Amino acid sequence: MAAAAKSSARQGPPKILRRAGRALAVPLGSVLLAFVVGAILVAVTGGDPFKAYQALICGGFGLFCFGGEPSVLQLSNTLVFLAPLIMAGIAVALPFRAGMFNIGAEGQLIMGAIAAATVGIHLTGWPPWALLPLVLLCGAAGGALWAGIVGVLKATTGAHEVVTTIMLNFVAQWFLRFLIIGGPLQLPGGSSKSSPIASSAQLATLIPHDNRIVFGLPGTVYRAHTGLFIALAAAALFAFLLWRTSLGYEIRAVGQSQRAARYAGISVRRTLIVTMLIAGAFAGLAGAVQIAAVDHNLTDQYFSDTTGFDAIAVALLGLNSAVGIILAAILFGALHAGGSVMQSDAGVSGNLVYVLQALILFSIAANFLRSFKLRLPSPGRVPSTPAADAVAEVVAHEAETELRADDKDTA
Amino acid sequence: MNFFTDIFRLLGTPDLWHASLQYAALLLLPALGGVISERAGVVNIAMEGMMLTGAFFAVAVDLAAHNVWLAVLASMVAGGLMALIHAVVSIRYRADQIVSGVAINIFAAGITVFLVNRLYGLADVGQVAARDSLPNWNIPLLGAIPFLGRVFFQQNIMVYIALLVLLGTQVLLFRTRLGLRLRSVGEHPQAADTAGINVYVLRYGAVVTCGLLSGLAGAFLAIGIANTFVPGMTDGRGYIALAAMIFGKWTPIGAFIATLIFGFGQAVYDANSSIHVSQYLLSMTPYLLTLIVLAAVVRRSSPPAADGIPYIPGAE
Repeated sequence: MAAAAKSSARQGPPKILRRAGRALAVPLGSVLLAFVVGAILVAVTGGDPFKAYQALICGGFGLFCFGGEPSVLQLSNTLVFLAPLIMAGIAVALPFRAGMFNIGAEGQLIMGAIAAATVGIHLTGWPPWALLPLVLLCGAAGGALWAGIVGVLKATTGAHEVVTTIMLNFVAQWFLRFLIIGGPLQLPGGSSKSSPIASSAQLATLIPHDNRIVFGLPGTVYRAHTGLFIALAAAALFAFLLWRTSLGYEIRAVGQSQRAARYAGISVRRTLIVTMLIAGAFAGLAGAVQIAAVDHNLTDQYFSDTTGFDAIAVALLGLNSAVGIILAAILFGALHAGGSVMQSDAGVSGNLVYVLQALILFSIAANFLRSFKLRLPSPGRVPSTPAADAVAEVVAHEAETELRADDKDTA
Repeated sequence: MNFFTDIFRLLGTPDLWHASLQYAALLLLPALGGVISERAGVVNIAMEGMMLTGAFFAVAVDLAAHNVWLAVLASMVAGGLMALIHAVVSIRYRADQIVSGVAINIFAAGITVFLVNRLYGLADVGQVAARDSLPNWNIPLLGAIPFLGRVFFQQNIMVYIALLVLLGTQVLLFRTRLGLRLRSVGEHPQAADTAGINVYVLRYGAVVTCGLLSGLAGAFLAIGIANTFVPGMTDGRGYIALAAMIFGKWTPIGAFIATLIFGFGQAVYDANSSIHVSQYLLSMTPYLLTLIVLAAVVRRSSPPAADGIPYIPGAE
């Protein structure tokens, strides 16, 4: 016994730590690589990378703030980005698990926001306990419908989801502009934004939204909101769905191999459609929470907002897992919140954040770090061609008839 | 009723058709780049980012060197370099080509504003005005023809270049040995490799060509049409070019027809002040048309068989 203990001690850290290290090596390495390249970029263009990153960390996490920036406010700003990033990240990760690439989280988020705002604007007389859930539900439904189009097209006509989601993103953006610029939802006499939603449809902020002084500043400056808990619940639901339900099993099976899933009696088409519906619901919920908690009205700022695309980076960096998505969302939320501080304090454009994000994506996608002999779980994209599908269908049909024949034999 | 009378009045103006052809040419360059890249088997959704980078460098070099042709060259090189990143990541490292494309687009959006801020010290929303612009080519005699002269023979020089590139791409893909090899690499790289064709070289070449053409389109946009650089100025045109490529079933002529339709839509949009229909609903049409084509007309749309699949020598 003693000898066994000694030999395991000689092997170094416990197994669980080694496994965690192995899982985290690629994402952390990619982030590190991106920051090094970003620092070189800042230095080459005549900036001070240390000052830039110090301001970035200050703005993101409230740490190393030498300019007297209030730390709690910085953290609050990061938390504002967190909820939509987590939910939109799930909207990308779930289809990844089924072998689909959802670039359409942005459009689904917009449609969710539109549905939520429409209800929140018009049902002003409703009490909060009824209106708020209805607003969130309508948001989820709006996103689900939008993504459902993609799922149905993919399952019935084979139209590639990457192309259809890109197209639907633009349709959603123009539809939003139509609604709020001279359209039915425009604030009467206002510019390009909708009327505000009823106050009973609004989600509370974490720190009471009044003029009492909290952490040295009036409560109204803190925008962090209770939608964060909705996002965390969504992440838990995502993990439960994926690993503890038969639907989750079917999704993963379809993602691994459509043909094998078909042999196992899983309806691939149904799974693809259901996956997109659920993913869209998560994205739509993100849009609804953003409306109910932060914006309170639709604005065309949603165009320059890139949550739906950041979500792709969140899902990939988070290895399509619930915990990973939360961690990646914290990183990107902090980057976005810190970007504006970096711009004002260090004079380096906040858009460096997008450069960093792209570099992280490159690094993860290309797996530059594979010299460490680490492999990412592949997103499981099985290229499907009409011919291969047809062959698979014939084979599956034959297998079915054989099975039936076997049944008869045994009977 | 107003709508139809407005439309008919608009259709009678040569300026509408002039603008249609101009916008079609703008979309045609990246669409042809996409055709070449995907025919060789590399999915490219990064035309948007390559165009944007090209647009920025066109204005930057124009301001520094006061020479439009140097600016055009720089924009092509910039687009080509962006494409080279995509090529290395997706061919050499066999990354998911969609992820790489998304990353290129995010990278371009970030780096251009970052550089605007570094070079010109403007706030993030600031625009950089160009100094010179690409010349209009008023063809003598032909340009004097009423109506048709304005539409076809008084265009920006870049329109004629785009049409030449269209001709060149069509001939290259379907009338030359190189084109045959390029298509075989996109359909069945294993067979092509067995026949002694260098799959990697052709794929690198195709992707970089796409970058050169997209960068060229960026220059056309920045110093031919807008005469300024505005962050995010491509405004989804790279994606419309992608749509045009699919719409045209991965053929140069088909893509050209699609860009004509989309260019017409853009021209109507621009002239919209005289039409009584929401310009925002109108703007949806290219995207909706593409969806309908994908869903109904093309049915199982038929990209090259090996499109998007990294080539691994020896693999089945």
